[in-house]
Amino acid sequence: MLWVALILPPRPPAPSADPAAPPDHPWGICPEAQAGLAVWCLQFTPRVALMEDAVVMEVEASLRLFRGRGALQARIADEAPDLGAVGIGWAPTATAALVLARCGVPDLGGRLLQAVLDPLPLQALSAGAEHAEPLSRAGINTLGQLRALPRGGISRRFGAALLAMLDQAYGLRPEARRWEVLPEDFHARIELPGRVDHAPALLLGARPLLMRLCGWLAARHAGATGVTLHWVHDSMRAKDAGDGGSLTIRTAEPIRALEHFCRLMAEHLAKTKLLAPVGELRLEAIGVQALAEDSASLLPDTVRTGETLYLTLERIAARLGPERVMQPAPGDDHRLEWMTRWQPATDGQRAGASGTGRRRLATRPAPSMPEPGFLLEPPLRLALREHRPHYQGALTLLVGPDRVEGGWWDRLPARAPADAATGTGTRTGTGAGARDQTAPPFTALVPQDDAAMVAVGHRNVVRDYWIAVNDSAGVVAIFRQPLDDGGSAWFLHGVYA
Amino acid sequence: MSALPLPLPPAVAEAVWRGDALGRGTDTVWPSGFDALDAELPGGGWPGRQLTELLLPQFSLAEWRLAGPALRRVVADGAAVAMVGPPKRPHLPGLMHLGLDERHLVWIDARAPSERLWCAEQLIKSNAAGAVLAWMPQAAPEQLRRLQVLAQSFEGPVFLFRPLAARHDPSPAPLRLQVTIDVDWALDVLILKRKGPAHETPLRLASIPGGLERVLTPRVMRPSTMRPVAPLAPLAPVMPAATEAAPAAASAAALSESSRAPQPLALFPELTDVVGRPDPAASSAGAVR
Repeated sequence: MLWVALILPPRPPAPSADPAAPPDHPWGICPEAQAGLAVWCLQFTPRVALMEDAVVMEVEASLRLFRGRGALQARIADEAPDLGAVGIGWAPTATAALVLARCGVPDLGGRLLQAVLDPLPLQALSAGAEHAEPLSRAGINTLGQLRALPRGGISRRFGAALLAMLDQAYGLRPEARRWEVLPEDFHARIELPGRVDHAPALLLGARPLLMRLCGWLAARHAGATGVTLHWVHDSMRAKDAGDGGSLTIRTAEPIRALEHFCRLMAEHLAKTKLLAPVGELRLEAIGVQALAEDSASLLPDTVRTGETLYLTLERIAARLGPERVMQPAPGDDHRLEWMTRWQPATDGQRAGASGTGRRRLATRPAPSMPEPGFLLEPPLRLALREHRPHYQGALTLLVGPDRVEGGWWDRLPARAPADAATGTGTRTGTGAGARDQTAPPFTALVPQDDAAMVAVGHRNVVRDYWIAVNDSAGVVAIFRQPLDDGGSAWFLHGVYA
Repeated sequence: MSALPLPLPPAVAEAVWRGDALGRGTDTVWPSGFDALDAELPGGGWPGRQLTELLLPQFSLAEWRLAGPALRRVVADGAAVAMVGPPKRPHLPGLMHLGLDERHLVWIDARAPSERLWCAEQLIKSNAAGAVLAWMPQAAPEQLRRLQVLAQSFEGPVFLFRPLAARHDPSPAPLRLQVTIDVDWALDVLILKRKGPAHETPLRLASIPGGLERVLTPRVMRPSTMRPVAPLAPLAPVMPAATEAAPAAASAAALSESSRAPQPLALFPELTDVVGRPDPAASSAGAVR
């Protein structure tokens, strides 16, 4: 048996006694903080109990899973203070662990339990603290001195409870605890120590809530696809500020990485404005589902997981916007600009392709036709000199023509007749550079429609592609397109970079 | 001890670094796909765990041609190639000729220099992608130093594409190359900085991009011999096919003015309409041949 006790500080007394408030905890601590700490502890072991002003848990059977006692001890010492724990003690019995935590002794340090407990003050044992005054008058100040007294006399004068607790501390009598049960839903609430005006500062309060969430998820072997942070405005607020606000963060894959949640939260909070000072935070988990965990294998895993790339992309998308982090999907088309559809990489549907980790995949066969590595968007109309297209100098045509014709089926979304009329009016100026005024703003996801296509109403193209070269522009793909006035124009469309 | 150096035992000789040898790079290298280049790169390929700077006269000129062949190895174990701020829209079928496919590509459309640096930093720090290709039109040495320090924990290669004008700026990247293209299906590569002796003669690497090797006929294997002929057809035999451009151009202009005086502008069409980057060299070269 190896017990850990985490004690919480007493709550400062409320300034105004609210009759509707729940009854105070007998030990003067915040009951919500204790319950929250217990939820967090449940990720280490199911044997978690509330005891006086502390949470105790039995971790003997969990040591190996958490990489040994040293690692677990370091982790708890690192994380528990963020949840409000002010003292941590490790001992073979729960009562002794609590006594050690109150006295600031971290663990036995290789000595016997009896040798460690004997010199500790009587007040550290809650039953001893009740009778500390008469005992100290009798010269009894430490647990060792109390234990040396005749048992019958103690029992008669101070009651059997003191003796029972003393025996439990020394491991002479079994302890019975009521184990905490993991709640089915996760709701956490925290009162901020001060009023917060500035959204990024909410992260400080949200972090303990996220830690509790990650503990709860770990205990359920689950991950969440999102969290919602609600904040409640202070009572001293402007009338139009409302009760509070909320911020929902979604991830495409279920995760329970605390740091990732914190970073996403920080990115989003940096863009948030608070209407009024905030006094209270609540956190809810969204889309909780089972999570396949990494194997804690002895042999080092040389294959890096794809999840981290996924998390990185998500973080980048949180700052730049999801439409600017893209993955391609091949499109079945002969027109170059429609051969690839670029989609947001953090799209949930694409998670299967990108997030399943690294595997050796059969390489797709290369296309049978040569293709440029970069496309211009939209195609750039080239000037002609002596009937030759020029782009950064005269281009030498090498291979061609390669006729690409099609797209009559690809109709543009219907427009208002007025737009169509103006489109027809500008039809004579069919420069590829001329963008239609009604065209949607530039996004990299969808190729731009030029004015001619808008005027015709579908994206039909008739192009003769050539591969051309010159000294400064390198190898490029250009095409000649017939114009409405009977002539033809050359366009630069791709670069074999 | 005699003054003559004794031949060292092979085991010792192997362990001794000599001044004329290339430095030993990092633990992992990725063969560049060009044997001549591999021979000049420390370690015999593109290094992992450090930055590699490729300086180009302009962007979207030869990035995939030079760095692309190594990526086939990078993605072979399922790692992804992340592009930060490419100058144009990447075209998947063209990249499939390099062995990349849609499961291995991520395009991050970062535009501002700070965004490019931040995205590259996040990708390098997470060590999740197999290779990072970042286009950096502007970057300060201290910003690159930050990336270089982070790159020491990134296992794959990190390519930074920078303009050729940055070649005189100090850079913390341990490997810097300058790339220019040759129209006869080759790249001219000069290693500006490496661990080892200075590299003096430019390398000429044969490179045919994007699956073009299947369609190129012998006639077009030397595009430099098929330059567009200027409208000086009667003068062409007079002029030797020489490369001394300045006197030739001057005399050509003089001759042409006597013969074709009514259309002086036809000789210098660049004066009438200029597309893209004005190239003063193109006018004389084009006019002579």
